[in-house]
Amino acid sequence: MIPPASATSAALLEELWKRIGAVLEGEGPLPSRITEAAVVAMGAREVTLYLREREAWVRTGEKLAGCVEPGEIPEPLPAGLFVREGELWMPLCADGETHGLLRVLDAPLEQSREHAGLLGFLFGSLVAAHRLGRQVRDAEFELKARLLELESLYDLGLSLGGQLDLSTLADEVLFRSISLTDAGKGSLVLYDKNEVLLERSVGGELLVARDCLAWELPEGGLINNGVCDSPTDGMRDGTCQKYLAVPISVPDRRLGVLAVADKESRDGRVLDFTPTDARLLSLFANQAAAAIQTARLHRDAIEKERIERDLELAATIQRQILPRDLPVVPGLEIAARNRPTRQVGGDYFDLFPLSGGRLAFLVADVSGKGVAAALLVSTVHAAVHLQIDDAKTVADLVARIDRHLQRYAATRKFLTAFFGLLEPDNGTLRYVSAGHNPALLKRASGEIEQLKATGVPLGMFPHSSWKEETVTLERGDLLCVYTDGVSEALDAADEEFGLDRLARLLIPAATTEEICRSVFDAVENFAADVPQYDDQTLLLVRRP
Amino acid sequence: MSETCKVSSERRGDVAILWTDGYINNQGGEEIAREAYTHLDQGVRALVLNLEKTRIVNSIGISILIEVLEKVMDKKGALAFCGLTPTIDKTFRIMGLAQYAEIFPSQEDALRSVSKPQTA
Repeated sequence: MIPPASATSAALLEELWKRIGAVLEGEGPLPSRITEAAVVAMGAREVTLYLREREAWVRTGEKLAGCVEPGEIPEPLPAGLFVREGELWMPLCADGETHGLLRVLDAPLEQSREHAGLLGFLFGSLVAAHRLGRQVRDAEFELKARLLELESLYDLGLSLGGQLDLSTLADEVLFRSISLTDAGKGSLVLYDKNEVLLERSVGGELLVARDCLAWELPEGGLINNGVCDSPTDGMRDGTCQKYLAVPISVPDRRLGVLAVADKESRDGRVLDFTPTDARLLSLFANQAAAAIQTARLHRDAIEKERIERDLELAATIQRQILPRDLPVVPGLEIAARNRPTRQVGGDYFDLFPLSGGRLAFLVADVSGKGVAAALLVSTVHAAVHLQIDDAKTVADLVARIDRHLQRYAATRKFLTAFFGLLEPDNGTLRYVSAGHNPALLKRASGEIEQLKATGVPLGMFPHSSWKEETVTLERGDLLCVYTDGVSEALDAADEEFGLDRLARLLIPAATTEEICRSVFDAVENFAADVPQYDDQTLLLVRRP
Repeated sequence: MSETCKVSSERRGDVAILWTDGYINNQGGEEIAREAYTHLDQGVRALVLNLEKTRIVNSIGISILIEVLEKVMDKKGALAFCGLTPTIDKTFRIMGLAQYAEIFPSQEDALRSVSKPQTA
């Protein structure tokens, strides 16, 4: 725009400045001062100033400030002063660009036309400077916002690194995600072994937690700036207009989903999410994934430590259940040994000297391992000690113990067991084998007999019954009852120790204690460095 | 956290305390501005914004708070913040709000500061 240079113009400018100079130099926001100056300069009843902010027109003023309504200002804008429906409009230009617009009501038209050029130049220069100032401020604000994003990523990494509480961690990630994307709402879902572990939302639940696990989200996030009028894989229907969702994942599995929706603008519109938003949210999700993984590993380590403490306790209980000293029974030579594995197993043996010099004994092997198996051993131990004096026969004892287990056992496990009642005087052995490995009877002649199962394992089926068998131990005969930890011990080639090796060690010339020791030594040498996962128990009874 | 930010206030002499509860976004910022401008128009000189029930602020909310701060400064008044989470505290410092408005750990400290006679 060419500034006025004539003497008339200069006089007019001087006269105008006398009237509006004090207003423009006064206090308050510049748009208000320009509006007030325009009222004074043009003798108008009312003036409204419109400013161009970024790409939109904004109405200024105390009462009506805000975005313009469709059709409120003329489009396209004429270059100079014009009248529309009785209202006078004055574009405010500088450097060939329209920066503002005055809407003037009830001003004398002639006076306005006379002053239009000067006022347009003066106010145009002022609003251009004002707009430039705002642009500088906006750019500075944007720079600070980017700096804030970087600082947030750094802070999030620091705070998440030491955060082991998943709930606090989830809040931290969600709050920062919503804040830095200017979203109106957000949700976060975390999973643990395909189960929903935690849900967090601000401004409404966006995600259908159970559907998010199978939701195929690209690694860099999914931007949906379209109208969300139909149900999407993981999004709750009708909760937002536009959304951005990113997976929280580690290489082999999905840990959760983070979603934000309805990006805000100062004028109330819902803005599109940008690839920059998606990158930022993905970075948050990656940091969250690493932190969640750390928190879970920590939790698992604590859990493992707790389980190991439990197992240690259970092992102590189990060791106390096994007899510390073997009974001395005239007419019998007895040896027994149990080698537990590191984990609590389920082997149990016991011996009961009864009236008339008789000996009752059992060797049992509970299915499974750990605390549950140890508890069942404990239950069997209690049942045997409760019932042994009342039982009429070995089969009756086994049936009583089975009923006890069916009624009181806390876990649905079962056990194999060999029960025997031996009369040293005549060598009569009455026995029941409840699904147990065949006991070996090594005759003095060297012959081996197998005492095979006479019924199903205990605790397996209700109302089971067991057949009681009888065999006679002649003098010099040796009975060997064991658990499968002995016979099925594995070597490096996955070969089992087997019954043949065991039978060969039952040497008539050795004492039961010596045989016991040699069997355990042989099993240990056989297995060498191969870890064994089953308890090993051996009970030897000889009638010398 | 509630969807909409609620703002309550109380006038103590020429100071007004504003308490926010919720997300300071466009809506929350507008609520704060409305409440603040009402007090400023009624002669309040200084504002204390207590944000102890706010855990999220976005850039729109910050830009509105800057507008409020500018208005307070136009009137030669004072603005102080208190009850900020560490995250919001750092956000305000980076975004320049702390350049012209002080941040205090407690409401009492903030009140004490803005209640001091203003030096010329």
